[in-house]
Amino acid sequence: MKRRSIVALCLVAVLAAAITTAATLGATKKATASSITVWLQVDAQSGWPGVVAAANQQFQSDHPGTTVNVQYQNWGDHLQKFDATLAGGGGPDVIEMGNTEMTKYMAAGAFAALDKTTFDNSANWLKGLAASGAFGGKTYGVPYYAGSRVVTYRTDLFKKAGIKKLPATTAQYMADAKLLFAKNPKKGFSSVYIAGTDWYFAMSFVFDYGGGIATQVSGKWKGLLASPQSIAGLTAYKNFFLATSRGSKTTDESHPNAYDVYAQGLAASMIGPSWFNCCVGKAYTPTTAQFVMPGHVKGQAIPGFLGGSDLAVPVTSSNKALATDWIKDFTNTSSEKGLQAKGNIPNATNLLGTSINERAAARSWFVPTAKHWVDVENGNILRNMLAQILTNKLTIQQAASSASDNIASVLNQP
Amino acid sequence: MVPAVETTFDRSRRRRRFWNRTLQGAVPYGLIAPIVVVIAVILGYPLYWLVKLSTERYGLFELIRHSGTSIGLDNYRSVLRDSIFWHTLLRTVIFTAANVTLTMVIGTLLALLLVRVSTVVRILLSSGLVLVWSMPVVVAVQIWYWMTNYQNGVVNYALTKLGFGNFFQHDWYATTFSQLSLTTLLIVWGALPFVVITLYAGLAQVPRDLVEAAEVDGARGWRVFLDITLPILRPILLILTSLSIIWDFGVFTQPYLLIGQSKIVPGNYLMSVYLFEEGYFKSDYGRGAAISLLMLLMVAVLSVVYVRKMVRIGDAQ
Repeated sequence: MKRRSIVALCLVAVLAAAITTAATLGATKKATASSITVWLQVDAQSGWPGVVAAANQQFQSDHPGTTVNVQYQNWGDHLQKFDATLAGGGGPDVIEMGNTEMTKYMAAGAFAALDKTTFDNSANWLKGLAASGAFGGKTYGVPYYAGSRVVTYRTDLFKKAGIKKLPATTAQYMADAKLLFAKNPKKGFSSVYIAGTDWYFAMSFVFDYGGGIATQVSGKWKGLLASPQSIAGLTAYKNFFLATSRGSKTTDESHPNAYDVYAQGLAASMIGPSWFNCCVGKAYTPTTAQFVMPGHVKGQAIPGFLGGSDLAVPVTSSNKALATDWIKDFTNTSSEKGLQAKGNIPNATNLLGTSINERAAARSWFVPTAKHWVDVENGNILRNMLAQILTNKLTIQQAASSASDNIASVLNQP
Repeated sequence: MVPAVETTFDRSRRRRRFWNRTLQGAVPYGLIAPIVVVIAVILGYPLYWLVKLSTERYGLFELIRHSGTSIGLDNYRSVLRDSIFWHTLLRTVIFTAANVTLTMVIGTLLALLLVRVSTVVRILLSSGLVLVWSMPVVVAVQIWYWMTNYQNGVVNYALTKLGFGNFFQHDWYATTFSQLSLTTLLIVWGALPFVVITLYAGLAQVPRDLVEAAEVDGARGWRVFLDITLPILRPILLILTSLSIIWDFGVFTQPYLLIGQSKIVPGNYLMSVYLFEEGYFKSDYGRGAAISLLMLLMVAVLSVVYVRKMVRIGDAQ
């Protein structure tokens, strides 16, 4: 008996020692003040490396001896990586966030508050973008750039189908789609390629008809998708999809990528960010152009989702002042002009030009700025609703009501 | 009467014997200690934190501050009261039953086939199985995804060409049943090699003379299988079945990647997908910990059969 307890004691001692070693191994490392780490999305690496280099140069001439370590991230997993650094340390000093991702992190206190007035053009920041970086009256995210959605189309196919004028209304576009189908009997061909559950595009119809996703009524979120206006918008989307697209009714906009379908010659037009014209294939590049997606009222563009990015400083950063200075350099007028030259929408109205992308942004919509919005997105509530509507699993009213209740309950979580 | 005088020699011999015995007794503990320590560190320590986490409110807010608020059993209560949890559990049980049954039945049939075929065919078949076995899951999922592609997948093409109807632009991911059936096919396909090769090895244990004796007595195919082959294979079958149940119950990679994040909804959750969505995606780590502990408990119950069988086989030897 005694022997056993001795052995047990030894065991406990060894175990305790092992655990302490393990615990000390995890002790935090010290950050070096002579360098800052910046997380940007790969878009910057492939699209505008020159703008990044120029900002770094400017920053380094103001702060001699400080190096900037830019690490490129992917949209798919950057938040999971960021969460891990929040828990374990070693995170970035500046992070690029999608504008729909901001609220959850601002509400959790993940970012340091910034003084808005110290940034270039901050009085004229694009409203949608500025709103995505503000929470409780404070600024946490600096608008970086925006992108709107436009129609990319094949001029040769439009001509062949006898379409002389670009569509001015959604109905006109649907009529044109019929002409395009008649001239292109190829199996699987779409006059307008749309992925069935592309909710960014579908919600544009909802907003075009005066509907919405959710709104705050005396502190509580209320779903708006079942309102008559939203139902009208969803009905219009369904009709438009059925009349123009042969894309899968249940797939999302990146499986497959619309530009891949287009590059295979299976689409006369497609909806997406204006940079989609990058990847339409060599054969179709000379005959590819873009126009602003029309709304149901003549002369009005359909409200487009204003996607964009903000730059923020995580609270875990030990170089907040340097990080803020870098953001200033990366979002100053000359940087924003550089971004604009690459086809992006700059962050302030006084810098706006007249490109198709920028004209499309004139009428835009944005997701509800609620802490739990990102859970609605990740929970695929809107995508599921669209799939149900398009496959006739549920009526529009049923699908919209259920999604609307679902959204309200997610947004109203504590 | 001479009183028994303890000599120094006696005393030292006794002491030596005592130490000998103690040391000998300690040897097994000493030998097992390293593994116990390793298990305690890599399993016990995280498990302790998992249990602690499951009793806390621990979201993004708490993650940033590195400290949760203790809320007792609230996480468990909220999971057990969640109708999605119960629906998911039922779906997972049915899914597991289907997967395990298919794996075991097809696996046994293939193993029996492997015994009967000529050497060349056997080599071809087993190399095919080993190739499947060596294929990384993520790669396999991607290839299945391409094959079942809506626009130009080879499955739709082949089915149409073979005259099974018009499968052009057939959407294999349109319904939950179809999504989970595809996942089942993928899992069974991936699980077969291990089952077939193990059972084939087991079949080598079936004495030829026993089978011949049965055949002399007039037993044929099915009878021989039931009366001779099956009893000998039983322990292997039992172990393979319990292992398959444990694996299939907690399967994550195949359903999550094949169905795809943008199509994952509560209506097609399997247990580990539910855990991932609730705990990780929604940054509700406390609740996630509670779900994973509940899952651990269920798998632990399932593995009792496996462990008991293993122990019994060990005893018999």
